[in-house]
This record gives sequence, C-alpha cells and structure tokens, in this order.
Amino acid sequence: MYRYDEIDRQMLADRAAEFRAQCQRRLAGEITEDQFKPIRLMNGLYLQLHAYMLRISIPYGTLNSAKLRMLAHVARTYDRGYGHFTTRTNLQLHWIKLRDAPDILDQLAKVDLHAIQTSGNCIRNLTADPHAGASAEEVDDPRIWAEAIRQWATFHPEFSFLPRKFKIAVTAAKTDRAAIKVYDIGLRLHRGDDGALSFEVLVGGGLGRTPYLGPVIAERLPARHLLSYLQAILRVFNRLGRRDNIWKARIKVLVATLGAAEFARHVGEEWEASDKAAVDLPDGELARIRAAFAPRGFETVPPVSRVFEAAKAADRAFARFARNNLKAHKQPGYAIVDVSLKAPGETPGDCSAEQMEVVADLAQRYSIDEARVSYEQNLILPHVKLDDVPEVWRALDKAGLASPNIGLISDIIACPGLDYCALANARAIPVAQSIALKFQDPDLAEKIGELKVKISGCINDCGHHHVGHIGILGIDKKGEEYYQLTIGGSGAEDASLGQILGPALPADKVTGAVDQLVGVYLRERREGERFIDTFRRAGIAAFKEAIYADAA
Amino acid sequence: MPTLLRWRKDAAVAGDDPFTAVADDQTIPRGDVIISLGRFQSEGERLLGECRQIGVRVASHEAVETLADDLPRLAVVALEFPKFRDGRAFSAALILRERLDYGAEVRAVGDVLLEQAKFMVRCGFDAFEPADGSTAAQWTAAAHRFRHVYQRAADARTPAFAERAGKAGADGL
Amino acid sequence: MKALTANRLIDGEVVFWNAGAWVERFAGAELFEDDAAAESAEARAKAQVTLLVEPYLIDVEAVDGGVAPVSYRERVRALGPSNKPDHGKQARGGEDIEALMHAHGAARSTGRLSLIRRPTASSG
Repeated sequence: MYRYDEIDRQMLADRAAEFRAQCQRRLAGEITEDQFKPIRLMNGLYLQLHAYMLRISIPYGTLNSAKLRMLAHVARTYDRGYGHFTTRTNLQLHWIKLRDAPDILDQLAKVDLHAIQTSGNCIRNLTADPHAGASAEEVDDPRIWAEAIRQWATFHPEFSFLPRKFKIAVTAAKTDRAAIKVYDIGLRLHRGDDGALSFEVLVGGGLGRTPYLGPVIAERLPARHLLSYLQAILRVFNRLGRRDNIWKARIKVLVATLGAAEFARHVGEEWEASDKAAVDLPDGELARIRAAFAPRGFETVPPVSRVFEAAKAADRAFARFARNNLKAHKQPGYAIVDVSLKAPGETPGDCSAEQMEVVADLAQRYSIDEARVSYEQNLILPHVKLDDVPEVWRALDKAGLASPNIGLISDIIACPGLDYCALANARAIPVAQSIALKFQDPDLAEKIGELKVKISGCINDCGHHHVGHIGILGIDKKGEEYYQLTIGGSGAEDASLGQILGPALPADKVTGAVDQLVGVYLRERREGERFIDTFRRAGIAAFKEAIYADAA
Repeated sequence: MPTLLRWRKDAAVAGDDPFTAVADDQTIPRGDVIISLGRFQSEGERLLGECRQIGVRVASHEAVETLADDLPRLAVVALEFPKFRDGRAFSAALILRERLDYGAEVRAVGDVLLEQAKFMVRCGFDAFEPADGSTAAQWTAAAHRFRHVYQRAADARTPAFAERAGKAGADGL
Repeated sequence: MKALTANRLIDGEVVFWNAGAWVERFAGAELFEDDAAAESAEARAKAQVTLLVEPYLIDVEAVDGGVAPVSYRERVRALGPSNKPDHGKQARGGEDIEALMHAHGAARSTGRLSLIRRPTASSG
C-alpha cells in the first residue's frame, strides 16, 4: 500500500497544528461557531446528539496492522472503546470531546491517519473496490488512481467551498463493489486492446432525497488526463451548482437539470480551455504511486489446499464460513476473507478496540499486513493463504467476527440513526438488530441466500436504503418512529433504485413485514434466483399484497 | 473604511485603500473607484476615459470572463464572497490569473475570513478586505501554515509531485 | 412548559439550564411556565459563546414519575443511545432516568420550539 513520504507526513502535521490553533481561536471567542463549523467539519468533527463525533478517514478502505492498532488505541483512550465503520469506509467515534481533538489528530498522524475533509463542502474520502489488488477481474489497481486523486483533492484551494459535499469512487472491475453509479463521480478503469488505460466517467449519481444513477459523460478518458478532467468537472460544479437550497446543491441536481449531454459539453469546454499539463500528473509520479501498490509477499502455493479442504470436511461450521465469507483471489492458493461486523443482535458496523486488535494481528500474520473496509460495513483480510484460513477463522470466531452471513439477510447496512445522529428522524440500529435476530438461524439465512437489507434513519440515506434489495427508511410520523419499505434496489453493476411498497409501517411491524417479503420470495422463486432476481421477474404485486392486504 | 491588506513578497501588509467602493445607487465620486459589473458595462467606457483608476466588483454568480477584453485597463477586480461558504470567487480568481492572464490587483471583498487566507493566496488573490478584524500578521501566518502543497495553483508554489521529481533528479534517479 | 438545553463547547456534553448554571441531568433542568422567562434565559445562554454551542428551548411535559421532553429526539439526548444502555446519561441510573425511559405517549417530532408551529389556542 501507499507509504506516506516526508511531504505527506508534513501535510498531516501542519494540518493538525492548524486545527489546534483554530480550536484555540474558537475557545477564545475569536471565531464564531458559524465560522468555526466548516473548519471543524473539514477536520471530520461533527456535533451530534450526545457528544462530538470524529470521522477518521480510511482512504480507499485500506488499513494495515499499525493503523488498526492506533484506531483501537484512540477508541480506548478518547472514546468508549469502540468505533463504527461507515458506508463510506471511514471510522466514526461517537463520544469525542473537542478539547481532545487536536491530540487525537497528532496521534493518528503517527501512523499516517487523519480526518482531513471527511466532512464539509469539499472533496471527501476516496473509496475504491475493497478487493483491489486481490481480484482477478480488475484491469489495474484502482487505489493507484484513488491515491492520486486524494493528493490532488487535499486542501485544494479552489474546491474547499463547493456548493455541497463531493464524493468520488473508483473501480477497475466489472463487478461493482464500490457503488460507482450512485456517486457524484464514479470512475471505472478499462484497458484497451493496446493495453492503454482509460476511465469511464459517471457523474451525478447519488442517494438521499433525490436519488439518481449517474450517467456516463465520458466513455474512455485516457487515464493520464484523469486529474485535469476531474478539475473541469469540479470547476463547472463550483461555478454552476446551486447555492440557494441545500437539497438542490449536489452535482446530481445540476446534471439532471442540464441533462447529461449539456453537462458533458460544459465540462468538455472547460477542459479544452484549461492547461491540462499543469494538472495531470507526470509519468514519474504515477509510477511512484503505482510502485507502492505493486503486489508483494505472495507465495507460490498449490491452488488446492489440503489443510483447507480437510477443515471443511471435518467442521460444518467452518464449511459454512468458507461458503459464505470467502471470495476467490487472483493468486492461486489464496482467498479473500470477509470479517463480519454483523453478529446478529449487535450494532451493524461497530467494532470494539479488542476486535480491531484481533484483526490487526491477523492482518499482520496472515494477510501480508493488509486489511480493508467495505462500504457494506464489514472488514476484509484480502490476502490469506487457504492453508491459513482455518486458523484465521478460529481467531475471528473467538472475537465474534466470524458470523457466516456475508451478503445474507443478517448482513444489514444500517446508519447510526436517531440513537446518535442529529440529522435522524428515527432509529435504525434496533430495526437492524430485530431483523438480524429474527433470521439468525444460519440454515434459514443460507436458504434465503443473497438478500441485501439497507436501513437509513433519515432521507439523507447514509444507510443506502434506496439501493437495498429491501430498503427501510425511518421517518417521523407525528412524533412516532415509522418505516417506509422499498424493494428492488441495487448498488452493484446492475444498479437500480428501490420502489416504494406502501405506506410507512410502525416500528413493531417492520420485522414481520420483512418476514412476509421473504415468504413471498421463497414461494415464488425459481432455480438459481436470488431475492432481487425473483422481484425483477415477478414484479411488485405479490410483495405488496403480502404486507398490505391484511393491513386493514 | 475596512482595512485593506495587500499581499506583497509572500506577506500581507496593511495599507491605505485609494479606491472607493461605489454602490449602484450612489453617485460616482472623484478619484479611484470600484463599481459593479453591471455599472461598468453601462458607464465603464466613459469612466476609463477619465483620469482615474477603475476597478470592477464581480458578484459570485457573475462570470468573470465578461471582463476579458477590458482587463488590461482595469486596476482592480474585486471578487465578492457574499457568504464565506460561497466558494465561487476561488474559481473566478484562478480564471483571471491563469486563463485571462490578469496581472493587476485581485481583491477579496465581502465575508472574507482569516481562516481562508491560504486558499485565497493560492488562487491568486493579492488584496483582501477582512470582515473579521484580522490583521496583516495573522494573514501572513495563516497563509504560511503548510510547508507543502499538492496542486499547482496561481501562486508560485511547487506542487509536491514536482518537488519529488526534483529530488529524484538531484539523486540521479 | 419548557426547558433550555445546549451542548457544551469543550466536550459536546448535553446540558440543561438551571438558574444561570448548566447541569448535566435533565432532572436538574429549570422548568419555565412563562414564555418570557424562557426566552430571556435563552438570550443569556446565546451570549455564552465560548461555553456552549446553540442553546435552544424544548417542550417538556409531566409524566409518571417526573418530567420528560415532549420530543423523542430530546429524550434520546437526555438519556443516551438505546443500543448501549451503559453509555450516556442513562448509565447513571436513578428515578429520573427511569421516568424518562418509561415516558410514553406520542412525542412531537422535533424539540426545537422555533421549528414547531405553535397551536393558535392556549393548549400547551
């Protein structure tokens, strides 16, 4: 992975010192809260219901053991001994004090971690395919480009006061594990027959109050022009994006208003007028970043591991784990191991300091010192030899990190909701816990198969409900928590927005409704169909009827 | 009269402002004036013919390219921040400097805050009317907080990737 | 009936106004029957810019065992997160916490008076 050099480190140190000085000015009353708020946000510090929340950046979801151990240390020392991994692959700490924030940033900087631009109307953390460097289907490591963009975007003097937040996701595989179609800018790498790399550029996707799937505005942008083209997009957005209405300020609204073709024309004009050579990275710098991501440490081992096969045969529980929580690796004899943060009954995405340390040890010992965060709020050990998987599983199991439920009904995405978040209208965590417990029987969960349930406590949709196979949106109906169900959404390469099933349900009816939807699926499904496939073939009627026919 | 800070030789210096900012409904006094873009479009030709320096104030929603042909004759372009969060003037400043080759004064007016000093200097602003009572010394310090920068902008700072290449060159790599 | 709340600047803790001082337990909050007194306290609080972030008034009502905020959101602020009973103010226990936890009846959506359309009649 990328190693920060002296320049990168000095950036973090200077930023931490700047924020320390800014906090002092605020505490002395030299800046108002209104003036301080964007500064605090651009350093990842929100004021929430109970305390400040610090959102620590995990660029393209990549961690190593040193970083994990520092996150555990910070969680323990300055918070309540745990953290929450988000749908943006960042880590949130929910009990932070402003007076500790400068010290925390200093600590994080020791392992090249920071909270730069994880909030505010600026370019946010870059996300990428969590299988980068491990997947056989990628044409390049998307993190090379994510790191290039990250540096370009950091403290960008022109783009720090945009109309609204700005999020960019990168993938280099056809299977979309980065949800690029619902991002402000989604980037997919392609390799031509001549070997040349290019980007398919999608602009104007997004979730929230007005969800959109981003249209393609450039089919094959030569990779070397990535940054100059991004600059053109950002400049058009900065100049033309709406600033009068917070709900209309994202780039998705600008693209929808102008139309994709007209928007693309604006960008093209700006791009042609610009001095591309001043922005695009020289080959030497790209090569330097690329070299940092070069695969190293893979051993040559047989594609089939006798140890692994024997363990599966001997232990049903391990076999179940292998069925659900392993993904194919490009290197023969290796696997990508999913670490579930969705033990039924627990808070989805939460991870204790002790658990972080377990993952750190496993990453260091068994995964070439790498771990990943996925936007589905789970962790990943990307490079584990099949021979080592049984040992890894035992350690994960002991730490409560081995629920064999990846992609299944209890692998729920849920935002913190009204339990923590000042923006929320309803709670999301108890809904997730109830559903996960209802379907905790692993045989039942496997029988149902892939079913992505996504829960948001408000329309901002941090829980991605618009792209859930079953989406659940918490609303406030006369002061009570009600939940609107949607069906048929997907955040993958087959992206679609969910359809509303009917009027919102009170909290105590939600799990039962999900159960009925599952019942319809099990009744109607044909061979090989996942829940989403049955819905797409059979339509909404049967699902609607199951919940609302007896809602009289 | 708000304090005017000018950026000279890498530092902010407080000084007198020879310009009078004139609202659209005010009579234009004698001497150097800054007027709105709209007013410049109707009265600019006449004013430029008189013996005084003219500056134009551009609102955040107005396109600075409108002034392209007149720039050689303008002493000041004042870019407005109606609210400090409105970052359109950063783009306008860069376009003035990098695309339109404007070499005279680019001034930040409106809700201009110390904590944006480093962004403003990088985007090519060289004069500021702070709205928060901040001083020249504070602006100088704020603009120098970062030892490195990642991008090229309108200032002369070497971006990190060029620093790295320079170092590599020096090491004979 | 109203109470005045804010977050403390230095640590983000939820606090409640009591006769010019700030307390951490909702049970210790001063209760205002009189709008003018409430608004005067709010104005004083808003001047404490280096102590607090965004003070605002909330509706409260009598419930079994005490007083509770009308709004569900403000009850969460007064208690803590429902998924972690040992985190937040609820962990301190006591009768007042019990009363808050068991406050029932439909809660009005937001706690902030300025966002709630006031009823035209005299109902509270």
